[in-house]
Amino acid sequence: MELPQTVPFLDWRWDDLIFLVLAGTMLGSALLVVVGRDIIRSGLFMVLAFGALAGLYALMGATLVAAAQVLVYLGAISVLILFAIMLTQSKAGPVRLVFHSQAWAAAIAAIVIGGLLIASVLLTSWPLAAAEPIVQTARDVAALMFGDYVLAFEVISVLLLAAVVGGIFLARRDDIPDPSDPATRIEDGSASRVTGTPGVLGGPARPAEKP
Amino acid sequence: MGGMSFAADPHAGIAAVTQAGSTEQLLLTLLLVLPIVGFTLTVVLGRRLSRPWIIAVPTIIVVWAIATYLSVQALIGDAFHGGAIQTTIYEWIPAGAFSVSFDLFFDNLTAVMLLVVTTIGMLVHVYSIGYMAHDPGKWRFFAYLNLFMFSMLLLVLAANFLLVFAAWELVGLSSYLLIGFWYHKRSAALANKKAFLVNRVGDIGFALGIMAIWTTIGTLDFVQVFDLLPAQLAGGHIEQWMMVGICLLLFCGAMGKSAQFPLHVWLPDAMEGPTPVSALIHAATMVNAGVYLVARSSPLFATAPEALILVAAVGIFTAIFAASIAFTQKDIKRVLAYSTLSQLGYMFAALGVGAWTAAIFHLATHGIFKGLLFLGSGSVIHGVHEEQDMDKMGALRRKMPITHWTMLIGSLAIAGIPPLAGFFSKDEVLGEAFKLGFQWVWLIGVVVALMTAFYMFRLMGKTFYGESHVDPHVEPHVHESPPTMTVPLIILAVLSVVAGAYLGLPLGDSTIHHWLAPVFHPALETMGVHAEPYQLFGIDGALILVSVAVATIGMVAAWRMFGFFRIHDRLDTVRALTARVPTLYQGSFHKWYFDELNDLLFVRIGGRVADAFAWFDVHIIDGAVNGVATLTRRAGDEVRQSQTGRVQNYALGIAGGLILIAVILLLVGTR
Amino acid sequence: MSQSLDAYLLLACGLFAIGTFGFLARRNAIAMLMSVEIMLNAVNLAIVAFGMFIPALAGAGQVIALFVMAVAAAEATVGLAIVIAIYRNRRTPLVDEYASMRE
Repeated sequence: MELPQTVPFLDWRWDDLIFLVLAGTMLGSALLVVVGRDIIRSGLFMVLAFGALAGLYALMGATLVAAAQVLVYLGAISVLILFAIMLTQSKAGPVRLVFHSQAWAAAIAAIVIGGLLIASVLLTSWPLAAAEPIVQTARDVAALMFGDYVLAFEVISVLLLAAVVGGIFLARRDDIPDPSDPATRIEDGSASRVTGTPGVLGGPARPAEKP
Repeated sequence: MGGMSFAADPHAGIAAVTQAGSTEQLLLTLLLVLPIVGFTLTVVLGRRLSRPWIIAVPTIIVVWAIATYLSVQALIGDAFHGGAIQTTIYEWIPAGAFSVSFDLFFDNLTAVMLLVVTTIGMLVHVYSIGYMAHDPGKWRFFAYLNLFMFSMLLLVLAANFLLVFAAWELVGLSSYLLIGFWYHKRSAALANKKAFLVNRVGDIGFALGIMAIWTTIGTLDFVQVFDLLPAQLAGGHIEQWMMVGICLLLFCGAMGKSAQFPLHVWLPDAMEGPTPVSALIHAATMVNAGVYLVARSSPLFATAPEALILVAAVGIFTAIFAASIAFTQKDIKRVLAYSTLSQLGYMFAALGVGAWTAAIFHLATHGIFKGLLFLGSGSVIHGVHEEQDMDKMGALRRKMPITHWTMLIGSLAIAGIPPLAGFFSKDEVLGEAFKLGFQWVWLIGVVVALMTAFYMFRLMGKTFYGESHVDPHVEPHVHESPPTMTVPLIILAVLSVVAGAYLGLPLGDSTIHHWLAPVFHPALETMGVHAEPYQLFGIDGALILVSVAVATIGMVAAWRMFGFFRIHDRLDTVRALTARVPTLYQGSFHKWYFDELNDLLFVRIGGRVADAFAWFDVHIIDGAVNGVATLTRRAGDEVRQSQTGRVQNYALGIAGGLILIAVILLLVGTR
Repeated sequence: MSQSLDAYLLLACGLFAIGTFGFLARRNAIAMLMSVEIMLNAVNLAIVAFGMFIPALAGAGQVIALFVMAVAAAEATVGLAIVIAIYRNRRTPLVDEYASMRE
């Protein structure tokens, strides 16, 4: 079946329709990520937002980046974040207070920053910009990456190795603390106050006090 | 200048400096390397050696042989044609325009100094084998002696002021270590501290002088300084007062090391060290470093007559001041120490009047006979079982014949009786002073000569003649010293007899004048001193007669009072005489209360001032510093209240800053 | 209309603002990290858009975007490791309970 040149009834190009759908999905789910009460849902909406972004990349013609977006964000980072959520989820369930006490100020700052960025984009004319995306094949990108940018590529690989080693080092549990040993007892009254659990590691409940 | 016939000789102009040949370079280096190697080996191995001197003494004998060979080459063989040789061992401090090399310099003045230093050094090393035989720490002693020899040789061989300064401090260090050799004795520990501190006072002057030379002339190398100086003075680049300042600063260093008034107080106390040390360091070599420094800097001093007058005044005052104290001291070594001060005063007086050669001549002969006297006194002290009080000696003549005869020769030499060494050099000093127009120096010098003869024969009388006052328990054990001690005494006695005649004859055209003429010629030219013909049957002869006459008077007076061979002492007369002038006697006995004055000035008053400064430091300066710190901390405590410690508050701050910057950029960028 | 540089850039601006808000407002450390990822993606979108629409850049936009992704991955790894380490000590993922910087 042959699709019409434009979207029926709206007289839009199909490209435009897809762009609007993807953009709306991305912005909407991103908003849900930051305002959602349930952290797990936030994580899932993030996956959706990044998926929509991958679609936008593809729409522009940046197919390689789109593929990488799917692999890295949807595949790796999202899973990593979901794991982290699972590991840090406290038994008390979702915390009632999602937002920081400065949420209003944050909202204003975010809106102002967004407004400033949009203003600067609109105020700038891009004389060198083409009207349509330029076609770039994966071959072109590969030639650049392993040509002019090969040093950066190698450096990135070292950075990734360092990040992996550092991540393991940071997240490794040294040894199980001995509850009878005061030196390894966790000395933070505020934590137990918020989570509502009695003294950590089964010790006697201690009144919250400033160290 | 008794007959400077060669002053007009065109070939005796500014001494030419040549690079040392490989042989000379090797020998000069060996002079320094051998003693420092001896020092190191003795330090490392000495404790385990049954004879700790086995490294140190042969080392110095070799050094002596090399030094003698070089000096004889230069002085008698005229190998360097009266000029100097210089050799660079390595570049010591390369710092841009400022560069100091480890250079060695050898001219006729160095040669004379080398002869004195190594000869007496070698004899003292040999003597110490016997003197220190029973001391458990003798390996330390020989190590220090070698260190001293290294430092002293470096001092006379150094080719620039900074290297001299380094050596200057090294001899000071060795002196410190050796004065305090018996460090468990409180008096010795105090004495070496005193020597060190008093020397620091002079060293500050010396260091400032070196800096002044660097800033005005732009180099520290002797040859370059002396070469550049006349042109810069003539060109008006250097002010006259600057030269006076430099010379006074250098002289300040010389005063410290050579113990001139008022920095003389350390030298008598330095007698707490072992007697060979007193002979070597505190009589014959190190204390001469000041004289050497001034003589070496003669082209500088020649341009500053005002400074030279001060040098002469300080010198001759120290001479009479120290001699007056030597009158009444009871400790045999202290008498000799004050005598050393007095004789050093003579040398500075000679330098001050412009009689450079006479000063070095007296330095050499004084080194010989004062070394002899000290070593002799060491032999006496050894013989009467470490007793130094002359009131507990007497009549030792028959028990210690070699010591007696050699010390008698030394005393005659220092008293200035012809034809012994002291006669020639002292007469040279006094005669030059008179003929160069410094009659007042001459007059005081003659009085000092009288006093010298008197106190030396007082020492001889109380020690060797008259009644015996030796402790009855010790009396039977008094003995002559072993050959390692007496042989150096005999050698020095022979030198005391012949050295003066060898160096000082023929009168008016002496050997030492020929040797040193190239060194001092530039200074004499600058000062405009020209030789007068020597008149043995005129003014010069008359001056000789006067000095010999006063020396004889002093000597005979001392014989009458303190005994001499068959003349009996008259100690009652002495007591009656001193009782008649109690003020003078007490003043002299208490060294004119100079230690007490220093105590009052620097310990009591200075201490109060220091206390005041300390109070100021603690309460005002520290108070201000601590106040600033306290203020900062308090302010921090207050400001900290505004900190929440929550990351997102800070992030919001960053966002606010970002907005601010963006707004400004937009406003400015769109305009 | 949609196929223009301005459209993509405006989209990136909006995404960035949303990320900023999340970073400043959320209490949960992981939510904050997610917000950072959103901001990074906004920047990446802008970079790719520039790369695609400006001929002079000749594809460099995509290369740089890929590098940014790699760096973002590294950042996420280390960031989450830190969050887990802190959580293990403090027993809470809530950032406004971490006030030890005050002391």
